[in-house]
Amino acid sequence: MKLLLDKAHIEGIISYDVYRREGGYESAAKAFKMTPEAIVDEVKKSGLRGRGGAGFPTGMKWSFIAKPEGIPRYLVVNADESEPGTFKDRYLMEFIPHLLIEGMIISSFALGANTSYIYIRGEYAWITDILDHAIDEAKANGWLGKNIQGTGYDLEIYVHRGAGAYICGEETALLESLEGKRGNPRLKPPFPAVKGAWGCPTVVNNVETIAAVTPIIRIGGDEYAKIGVGKSTGTKLISACGNINKPGIYEIDMTISVEQFIYDDAYCGGIANGKRLKACIPGGSSVPILPANLLLTTASGQPRMMNYESLADGGFITGSMMGSGGFIVLDEDQCIVRHTMTLAHFYFHESCGQCSPCREGTGWLYDILKKIEYGRGKMADIDLLWDVQKNIEGNTICPLGDAAAWPVAAAIRHFRDEFEWHILHPEEAQTRNYGLAHYADELPLVAG
Amino acid sequence: MEFSQEIKDKISKLIEKYPAGQQKSALLPVLHLVQDAHNNWLDVPVMDAVATALDLAPIEVYEVVTFYSMYNTRPVGKYLLEVCRTGPCMLNGSDQIIEYIKEKLNIKEGETTTDGLFTLKPAECLGACGYAPMMQLGKTYREHLTREKIDAIIEECRNSAAQLN
Repeated sequence: MKLLLDKAHIEGIISYDVYRREGGYESAAKAFKMTPEAIVDEVKKSGLRGRGGAGFPTGMKWSFIAKPEGIPRYLVVNADESEPGTFKDRYLMEFIPHLLIEGMIISSFALGANTSYIYIRGEYAWITDILDHAIDEAKANGWLGKNIQGTGYDLEIYVHRGAGAYICGEETALLESLEGKRGNPRLKPPFPAVKGAWGCPTVVNNVETIAAVTPIIRIGGDEYAKIGVGKSTGTKLISACGNINKPGIYEIDMTISVEQFIYDDAYCGGIANGKRLKACIPGGSSVPILPANLLLTTASGQPRMMNYESLADGGFITGSMMGSGGFIVLDEDQCIVRHTMTLAHFYFHESCGQCSPCREGTGWLYDILKKIEYGRGKMADIDLLWDVQKNIEGNTICPLGDAAAWPVAAAIRHFRDEFEWHILHPEEAQTRNYGLAHYADELPLVAG
Repeated sequence: MEFSQEIKDKISKLIEKYPAGQQKSALLPVLHLVQDAHNNWLDVPVMDAVATALDLAPIEVYEVVTFYSMYNTRPVGKYLLEVCRTGPCMLNGSDQIIEYIKEKLNIKEGETTTDGLFTLKPAECLGACGYAPMMQLGKTYREHLTREKIDAIIEECRNSAAQLN
């Protein structure tokens, strides 16, 4: 079942003319015949959850927006896609930009916003040009500007390019950055729904979330909610990468198993070079890494499924999270210590420096991991790593601290023997990798 | 220093994207604009001119420039090779790609070749994990890198620099 990428293969779908010919902007036309409240209700009924990583119900987020008289409201689309393993929003914007623009028109109308922004990461420079062009086309065809389609509703959309900072994916850091400041997250409350961009009520939503509003209005919230399972409704884009045969973007309806997703030729097509699966981070680098056995089967023995609930089954002890859908696969030859070290460096580099547990702690994590990786670690360093990550988690203004702590915690939780091996055999660890140990000895090379 | 009329006009256009009185919001796009026009880096006179153009205190510009990784506060080569080294790229051999570039161009991370053509700048996740290993080169991404592709990219840059001269 595809709702976002169903037309992605059509030649020329990047242009307004082809997108329109294929039924594009019909959802916007339908939305303009509805009241803003009715649109919010459809999104609530759809069960759509934020696709950026947190999974918060979108309709509920929209209903929090304050509506004081005479004060503008803003919709800001978060296109600061920077979570390692995640490259799905890029695909939507690069190949079907009008799906996002249409979703923004509907969402802005529902929220009563007359100006909306796309905050895009600075490195996606060529995509900025694609979006600017799509906005111009939409405007030339009467879907943006004054008195859109004769409804009396006005809307302008602008693209705002960031300049290289992972932290700006956090919604209040993003708003600071939109205002021309350093991307330091704000203390909450007040939440953006009350005081967001320039002190005005603001909704910040991920690209995929806003793009999904277009098919929701087309088929209706109830129909959308029938897709998927439980509270994992609709479709989700998964960006699969790492050591697999077919890295790329897959739209899934959240009813397939993780095993099927990894081994089926319709998805990842198995582990590259005939290797075995060692581990996987299923939802972007911040969520806990799982060894192969716990990835494919929950602790209670059920097949693990590709949805919010099943991926989180077992909490952080034996489970992980859906997160942003950045699915990173590690084969048997990969070193968990080195991999964790590169991620620790990432968070150290990206910490905004505002809260000391994160500013100092991320550097400590990286230094200790580097010591272990390069054969200078001591046994006590493993406990020290655990202690440092524990002291970052929950003690910072924004979730970057947690995001830096969780990968380290999960690596130690599930792969402690590999850390110990590095410390006990520092010279051997420079020449070969630890391998699979007990994580995947009995797992198949192919599905079934 | 003073900006050209063309840059000034572009700055005015950028300010119009934001609510009245919020010209500071245009700071990031304006910095991209002037960095592109000034050999891909921002020195103090340029930053001060941006402050004047947006009616800001110079510190408001400096603190932003030093926060974001895409603004260069020192001169860089004509071609900035920003190779991603985060997790998913590492799993696909980015360490070897970085080593190869260092060896081929005889520079360390962060250094520029003596002819001023190339700077190697390892970068954190650029959102191209499925096409790893990869690098950013100007406004484009170069993906699925191999040693052969690095050779070709460097050749391509050298040729285009020769044509400009």
